[in-house]
Amino acid sequence: MFSLFPVNDYALIAVILGMPLLGAFVNGIWGKRLGDAAVKLMALTAMAVSFLAALVAFVMLADAVGAEKNEHVKLTWMAWEWMHTSGGYGGSSIPIDVKFSIDALSGVMMLIITGVGFLIHLYASSYMEGDPGYARFFAYLNLFVFSMLVLVLADNLPLLFVGWEGVGLCSYLLIGFWYENAANAAAGKKAFIANRIGDFGLLCGMFLLAHYTDSLDWNGIAHGARNLILPGEAFRVYVWPLGNGQYTGLLHFLQPAHPLTVSAATAVGLALLLGCTGKSAQIPLYVWLPDAMAGPTPVSALIHAATMVTAGIYLICRLSFVFVLSPFVMMVIAIVGASTALLAATIAVVQNDIKKVLAYSTVSQLGFMFLGVGVGAFTAGFFHVFTHAFFKACLFLGAGSVIHAMHARIHDDVDAQDIRKMGGLRKWLPWTHITFAAATAAIIGLPFTSGFFSKDEILYRAFVDHTVSPVTAAHSFVPPGWIGPLLFWIAVLAATLTSFYMCRVYILTFWGDFKGWTVGRPSLLATQEAEHGGHDDHGHHHDDLTTPGYPPHESAWQMTVPLMVLGLFSLFAGFLNPGFHLLKPENKPMDHWLEPVFKEASEHAVLFGHGNDEAWAEHMEWPLAACGFLAFAIGSALAYYVYVRKNGEPTKRLAEAAPGLYQLVLDKWRVDELYDATVLAAVDSLADTSAVVDRTIVDGILARLTSMIVAASGTVLRALQTGVVQVYAATMVVGIAFIAWFFAAPHASYTLTDSGNDDYVVTAAPGVGYGYRWDSDGDGTPDKPSFGADSTLKLHLAPGKDVTVNLEVKNAFGLVKKAAIHVARPNAPVSQL
Amino acid sequence: MTLGALYFYACAALALAGALSVVIAKSPIRGAMGLLLLILSIAGLFLALHAQFLAAIQLIVYAGAIVVLFLFVIMLLGPSASTPHDRRGIFARTLGGGLFGLLGLGSIWAVVRASTGHMSMRLPEPAYGGIDAFGSVLFADALVPFELSSALLMVAVVGALAVARGRQGLASPSKGESDIIRESREEGP
Amino acid sequence: MIPAESYVVLSALLFVIGGIGFLVRRNVLVTLMSIEIMLNAANLALVAFNRVRFDPSAGQAFQGPSHTGQLFAFFIIGAEAAEVAVGLAIVLSLYRLRQTVRSDEADLLRN
Repeated sequence: MFSLFPVNDYALIAVILGMPLLGAFVNGIWGKRLGDAAVKLMALTAMAVSFLAALVAFVMLADAVGAEKNEHVKLTWMAWEWMHTSGGYGGSSIPIDVKFSIDALSGVMMLIITGVGFLIHLYASSYMEGDPGYARFFAYLNLFVFSMLVLVLADNLPLLFVGWEGVGLCSYLLIGFWYENAANAAAGKKAFIANRIGDFGLLCGMFLLAHYTDSLDWNGIAHGARNLILPGEAFRVYVWPLGNGQYTGLLHFLQPAHPLTVSAATAVGLALLLGCTGKSAQIPLYVWLPDAMAGPTPVSALIHAATMVTAGIYLICRLSFVFVLSPFVMMVIAIVGASTALLAATIAVVQNDIKKVLAYSTVSQLGFMFLGVGVGAFTAGFFHVFTHAFFKACLFLGAGSVIHAMHARIHDDVDAQDIRKMGGLRKWLPWTHITFAAATAAIIGLPFTSGFFSKDEILYRAFVDHTVSPVTAAHSFVPPGWIGPLLFWIAVLAATLTSFYMCRVYILTFWGDFKGWTVGRPSLLATQEAEHGGHDDHGHHHDDLTTPGYPPHESAWQMTVPLMVLGLFSLFAGFLNPGFHLLKPENKPMDHWLEPVFKEASEHAVLFGHGNDEAWAEHMEWPLAACGFLAFAIGSALAYYVYVRKNGEPTKRLAEAAPGLYQLVLDKWRVDELYDATVLAAVDSLADTSAVVDRTIVDGILARLTSMIVAASGTVLRALQTGVVQVYAATMVVGIAFIAWFFAAPHASYTLTDSGNDDYVVTAAPGVGYGYRWDSDGDGTPDKPSFGADSTLKLHLAPGKDVTVNLEVKNAFGLVKKAAIHVARPNAPVSQL
Repeated sequence: MTLGALYFYACAALALAGALSVVIAKSPIRGAMGLLLLILSIAGLFLALHAQFLAAIQLIVYAGAIVVLFLFVIMLLGPSASTPHDRRGIFARTLGGGLFGLLGLGSIWAVVRASTGHMSMRLPEPAYGGIDAFGSVLFADALVPFELSSALLMVAVVGALAVARGRQGLASPSKGESDIIRESREEGP
Repeated sequence: MIPAESYVVLSALLFVIGGIGFLVRRNVLVTLMSIEIMLNAANLALVAFNRVRFDPSAGQAFQGPSHTGQLFAFFIIGAEAAEVAVGLAIVLSLYRLRQTVRSDEADLLRN
């Protein structure tokens, strides 16, 4: 088989990528004409073929990895040479090619994308039935899968960025799929703009990497990565003053005593982190994800649960060897992750829309993943990506099934998703119920489900890990010792809340009595009478709206089969990487599989706390696992108590006792409003100011005033045109006077150059018959009493010193001009970040 | 004061007097006479500077041809050659003249201040400035400018003829021309 | 021995007088004569400097002291003559046109 597809020209990648692209193309252009059945066939076939090819590729990769004895093996395929760019540190040109590669990390992602993608396509073929935009939907969905695959399989940063942008675009198109409703379009725009802010960070990171490591593909960056932490001013990024400028004169108060610099690794890490927070919905750019629930549920499942939002984690994992170079950035990632997990969990507790709960749950789980990679547990974080794809997709698809059932009865969009109007659905939606329960069990960490293994591994590593700089000689930032335990307890609190709200959703949706019998129905009385016994759009018979009507129904097999598959995986996929040293390390297949990818990163940079004490770490394993178990137990027990035993009374009383706080949390802590009031208001006022400036300054002053000046000066100048030659001659004399003054007066101009090593050279401008006299210490007495011909002066200044040099210039006419030159050497920069 | 110095100051004084009378004199005939005086003084100064041939040329061409030409034209114009003294355009004239004067005097002062002493005036060989040496150098090194200047004189003759001829080749203007001009003047610009 | 600077100063003075005459007087004949004064001043300066420096320059075909300044003055006189001829012809045309020799009457290009 390898003879057909050699390891370094693996053209099967073209099939994996090409099939979704073909599906998007065909469905997009001819979809409407071909009809729904053909569109469905094209889309599903494309995904199935892609998945099969991905499986084949994965098997071949495993073969190759085994053959190479677990080295970092990549199946690469170069599609074509794209372009070259200059600007690297060595001055060479950096090639950017359309080159794809499958290695251990991207192989797993590829399988998730195509596999879960196929299941969701199957689900959507039934969910979106009857929608007028059916063909458009599948075109976008296939295009999304293509872009995501480009992102994951890319061998260099620019190509990854192409995929990154592509998934952002498809996310926008799919969120605003029902664009007739302005709110949906607004949600799509919000997603795109928040992503764009992150993209700016990613671009800056890309530029910095290209400059410092002289390369843009993974191998090259790894090779040149040590340039990012070299000492020396050329390898540090000046934060203040920007770009190592000097503020003199009026702006002197801005000049700091010691310039503030960060290492290039920190700058790159922070820039890339901004990109990842945008794509993976972390603080501060998570605000688009809850709004994105305006899109169809399969979109939420595929994009906002399983694949697109994991792109940020993927990037961090891919560039792990860059991120570990800066322990500061790793700490920031972990803090961002933990705080987002907690924040989103608190919001999810009070939400009433089932999709919103799941959206905040996604943000929270992504926070866990960030926490995992931030403390150096790359495999654990990535494993959580893997398991999260299954159980979150299952939860979303299950929610979609529930909404489908509710919508058949309640035609109002908002009410159909309100969990307060649901209840007891397990009677009528058995398959949905079982799979939803399985996925809930996984997410809350029921022992031995997939979520249990992945989440507990993260919690354990958060406590025991200690990230340091891999280059011990670098004086770099050392995270304080209390960070680990602090993050652990925050994460445990978030896990408790997770299990609470997920159990709440599950109980309120599937247990108890169905509360939606009469919702919406009295309001439909008028329309039904107007229709005079017409059919409603589900083809059911005309019913009596004053009484409870027919009950909700289970969904078609296209929707339940994916649910079952995903439910199975969410229960049992955990055994791919069971934790605990009691099951020996060799029994952690996922860790073993991903080891070559992260070896470089973790080898020197990720140690155990307490001075790399491995025995202590092993000792802590059982207590920390117990904490994790307690989080699950307390959360779910509390939910059971409140919602099953007490029928929701305690929480209602709590909400009444603190209505302000309740409203605040229900309003998502008013973060959106805060952004509106600060950032967006600033942009709006900038726009208003620009409008005012345009009207008054540009139109009024620049346009009208300049024309007035031109007219006036024309009138004035016309007075000179008397026609008499002597007047013209007199004007010439005035001109000659100016020129003569310029030549007769001496000019003391100079240039100041910094020749490195604390040396400065002051060069005076030459002139006819000029003699120079320097005073290099600024005390008023010149160095030599007579005017000499040497026009340069060399100075040596220690850091922090400044001196005022006086220059006197005498020209051939004996006229002297003096100039004072202020030369300052700034202090040496300090920073440990 | 040596003879040479006396000679120089005398010639200088005469030259300045001549120049001043050109500028100040009311009637142009007086000005032309002042010009003649200037020419003669300059020729005398040339003699002091060992430029004998040039002094002769100066006398022949300048005094003998140019000043004579001036006199011809003044006499041709007759009484209209002199213009009344009024204050029209006094501002531009004062400004131009005053500024120029200031500039000139300022630069003279600057040069005098910066002068480092005496420029060496060693004696040249006797053939210097004589007609032999001048002629040799004129036809050896400056042959091309010499030929070109003869072409220039040819052009000047043709040009002068063309300009002074007028429309119908008459010495005095016809009625029609000056009428046209007067009418256009009255209409305004 | 009169230093060369005196000649240069005299030349400058004559030049200034001639320049002022050109700028102030309105009679075009007087302005032409002022131009003559200026050119004569230049000639004087040239010849004075040639008297100071007459080292033979390289590439000179003539074997002897350098006469460059005097040559320059010679050509100025020649060009001068041509200029006066044409200038006076123009004065005559102006007189024929306007019956005047005042420069401020020759303002058809006004504004």
